[in-house]
Amino acid sequence: MDFDYRLAAWAPRVLSIARIAIALTLLQHPAAKFFGIPYVPFFDNLPISSIYMVAGAIELIAGIAFLVGFYTRAAAFVLSGHLAFVYFIGHAPKGFYPLLNGGESAVVFCFVFLYFAFAGGGPWSLDGVRSPEGADTMPQGTDRAHAA
Amino acid sequence: MNIDRIAAACQPYLLSLFRFVTGLLFFQFGVAKLFKFPAVPMFEDVTPLSLFGIAGMFELVLGGMLMLGLFTRPAAFILSGEMAFAYFIEHFPNSFFPLLNEGTLAIEFCFACLYLASAGGGPLSLDALLRARTTRQPETPSQSRR
Repeated sequence: MDFDYRLAAWAPRVLSIARIAIALTLLQHPAAKFFGIPYVPFFDNLPISSIYMVAGAIELIAGIAFLVGFYTRAAAFVLSGHLAFVYFIGHAPKGFYPLLNGGESAVVFCFVFLYFAFAGGGPWSLDGVRSPEGADTMPQGTDRAHAA
Repeated sequence: MNIDRIAAACQPYLLSLFRFVTGLLFFQFGVAKLFKFPAVPMFEDVTPLSLFGIAGMFELVLGGMLMLGLFTRPAAFILSGEMAFAYFIEHFPNSFFPLLNEGTLAIEFCFACLYLASAGGGPLSLDALLRARTTRQPETPSQSRR
């Protein structure tokens, strides 16, 4: 029980760590699309108005905001909806099971961002620096005393 | 500001939803590896005691526990470690970039589970049910009188 409380005290900071890791894995996609880092042959010569590039622009802008924790909730909400579109446009037509349509990663991203849209960016974020209350992830319940 | 407060009030329930979906996706991998459903060509030759088979058992059992929210913290901690191993054994040798070594999913799982290991399963979980039962019983006066 006591161990649970000690882990719960770390939860807001681990939330921030997870936010940064997830943001970096997402930002690879626009980086590959726009800057060729890393080089992915599939993204070669895509017209700027193609759905991949528009998706890349959303990922780049919202992804950077999410990385630094600037308006985390809004950025995460946009990204969650974005990944839902990605799943249903890009993956769902190929099969019902995520394991077969290659959409596993999009599903996890979608629900991770949905959670962040509610939980906020945690203490290690620009939101947390601007107003600690805005980044508060445990507003109710008894855990608050242990999370401080 | 107000919307932040509304979002924060819903956060514990979203944590439970997030835990369930993460568990479900792990469960899917476990079922595909051990019971071949859905049939994935890559997992066709997986035997139960191979590296993939043992990973599948972890995913089946612990993924199921995450879905139920039973012992969420230890289950998520073990799965987080398993995904770290999966990334460095299976994906990392192929390339430095997760986009090229196809380890993006393993990274997402790893950090999602790391967070669940510290945050717990939320209010909609068997953990919460068990905790409510164990803490309430000695406090209820009607029961202590009996």
